[in-house]
Amino acid sequence: MWAYFLKRTFLILPTLIGITLVSFLIMQMVPGGPVEQALQRMKMAAQSEGGPGFGGALQTAITSAELENIKKYYGFDQPVLTRYFRWFKNLLRFDLGTSYTYEKPVLEVIASRIPVSLTFGITGLFLTYLVCIPLGIKKALKHGEAYDHWTSLLVFLGYSIPAFALGVLLIVFLAGGSFLALFPTSGFISDDFESLTFLGKVLDILHHMFLPLVCYTIGGFATLTLLMKNSLMEELNKDYIRTALAKGLTYRQAVFRHGLRNALIPIATNIGMIIGVILSGSFLIETIFTIDGMGLLGYQSIVNRDYPVALGLLVISSLLMLVGRIISDFCLVLVDPRIRFR
Amino acid sequence: METALLEVKNLAVHFQTPGSSGGPGGVNKAVDGVSFQVFPGETFGLVGESGCGKSVTALSLLKLLPTPPAILAGGEVIYRPEGRRPEKDLWQLDHEDLIKLRGKEISLIFQEPMTSLNPVMKIGRQIGEVLRIHSAEKAPTPEEIRREVLAMLDRVGIHHPERAYEAYPHELSGGMRQRAMIAMALICQPKLVIADEPTTALDVTIQAQILELLKELQISYHLSLLLITHNLGIIAETAHRVAVMYMGRIVELAPVKELFHNPLHPYTLGLLSSIPRLDREGELKAIPGMVPNPLHLPAGCYFAPRCPRVMEVCHKEYPLPREAAPGHTVACWLQEK
Ligand SMILES: Nc1ncnc2c1ncn2[C@@H]1O[C@H](COP(=O)(O)OP(=O)(O)O)[C@@H](O)[C@H]1O
Ligand code: SF4
Ligand SMILES: [Mg+2]
Repeated sequence: MWAYFLKRTFLILPTLIGITLVSFLIMQMVPGGPVEQALQRMKMAAQSEGGPGFGGALQTAITSAELENIKKYYGFDQPVLTRYFRWFKNLLRFDLGTSYTYEKPVLEVIASRIPVSLTFGITGLFLTYLVCIPLGIKKALKHGEAYDHWTSLLVFLGYSIPAFALGVLLIVFLAGGSFLALFPTSGFISDDFESLTFLGKVLDILHHMFLPLVCYTIGGFATLTLLMKNSLMEELNKDYIRTALAKGLTYRQAVFRHGLRNALIPIATNIGMIIGVILSGSFLIETIFTIDGMGLLGYQSIVNRDYPVALGLLVISSLLMLVGRIISDFCLVLVDPRIRFR
Repeated sequence: METALLEVKNLAVHFQTPGSSGGPGGVNKAVDGVSFQVFPGETFGLVGESGCGKSVTALSLLKLLPTPPAILAGGEVIYRPEGRRPEKDLWQLDHEDLIKLRGKEISLIFQEPMTSLNPVMKIGRQIGEVLRIHSAEKAPTPEEIRREVLAMLDRVGIHHPERAYEAYPHELSGGMRQRAMIAMALICQPKLVIADEPTTALDVTIQAQILELLKELQISYHLSLLLITHNLGIIAETAHRVAVMYMGRIVELAPVKELFHNPLHPYTLGLLSSIPRLDREGELKAIPGMVPNPLHLPAGCYFAPRCPRVMEVCHKEYPLPREAAPGHTVACWLQEK
């Protein structure tokens, strides 16, 4: 079995090459790359320096030599595959290059967003599991009763509302838009954050996080709740539950000592994906609540053709996903004795 | 005469079936007026074709059927440990008191040892759990439980009790799993064991071993065994008395020797003659004719549509059970002459 996991670990590298190569090639095909942008900037600069009427002469102002320089600066003088391998070689030395936009190392740019992402990711995760697991269990036990119906209605409402629409609604109604002003409209911390005590800081962050967190998590409640409910219901129909009852256990004991452990197996399957929280973020929610998070960074890196950042995010998220899969499989082995990988 | 340990009187368990594809639903009288007794230390067999209501009977005794869809429509399940009075009607007991009997005084062995065991819990723990929940005053220590479970695993013929103790169900063979189920059923030294097709899921050679084990344990623990099977061969080898069930009712009840030598109900005759002579296996072969739809039972004898000796009266009314010989009752109009 260890061989299996070792093999999976070695397979990460070729998979990563596949993912990044395809993305790298696609990115080169999209118009509006850094060279074109630089040319644009130069044109604009020339235009604002010179007056109107010189337009015709401007075309020749950028000589082919200058163009070569610009290309060289961004590394675009080389064929695409050469550039890819240069990029990948640097990647193996944990060098993701320099952001065009921020003109700082990509790793630094991404790392600066991690605290916000982690805070949202981890709290969101806990909130989701804390709500969905008990809710799913209770819904399974009360299947078909009124409680089951109205909670289904709630989680599906959360599922169907687009996060940004909910965000706008929440701001309008609860964050001083037009009605109540219970929560701050934007940002991650207050202006006087530094002067607060530790507890004050935590509360301040939670206060700021609350509304975006609701938007961020509410759409995911339905999936996990129903997964939990269906999984448990399926287990409760199985023969071993009847055996547990025949042994003299109460129904509750049969559910919690026997059914639940089995029902959690499909949920444990996803546990490795949890490490994705490092990069979690949502462009729309971050835009609405003006939070400088990972979602915004990713979006802007694509709009601005900041390839190093976009590729950096892609590499890290792919890596996390691949490692997450292995962790998931490992957890599956831990919780389900029937599974043995070879 | 000795008093019965278990006396089932007029047991009726129905299922409300939802109407399918526009058709109206109906009540499936899966068990309808079943009466029998199980005496201390005896093996009582319940035999009949698949779907005749054997499992429903077995599960309903301890109220193990989910309601709904099951409806415990009527009857008494009198339980008299050591002939003691006052007797208890299991169906009238408080839920807490009934739960205390389950697994301790009356236990069950199921057909499929694979699915009947929790796949993610070790065998030893699953058996020990029965001891743990039924220890009344002082809780036994984990070591005591372990020792008792190991002894019981050894007792049911598992060669490496330590290994089986630490095994998960899927790591044991079918026969070993069923032995573990038997150990689980016996660990609290019950008075009555209900075995619902305990060997049906096993290979023929393993079947014989498990039956031998059950027989041997039944004698040495002085158990009462309610043995449910669709296999008359098993009844012949194991049971003292037997009831033949057809469509939720008992059609003939007799001591095993009497039943095999002097079968009176045409359905029993059909069952016996459908056993191939040279085949040691007593598998039931289909008796010609259609089994009536349980939702639309005929007015008279349920066997009338398939009975070679059907008479006019058979279509009018269901025959009452009659004692044809001491301890031998038959429900058939042929007995009315
Ligand atoms: N959970 C259930 N829901 C509806 N009908 C059931 C259920 N369990 C059993 N039945 C019906 O009860 C009858 C007897 O079934 P059962 O006791 O399992 O037969 P068997 O003699 O093979 O053990 C069958 O007609 C079956 O369809
Ligand atoms: S009552 Fe009539 S139909 Fe029924 S078994 Fe007897 S003879 Fe056959
Ligand atoms: Mg059955």
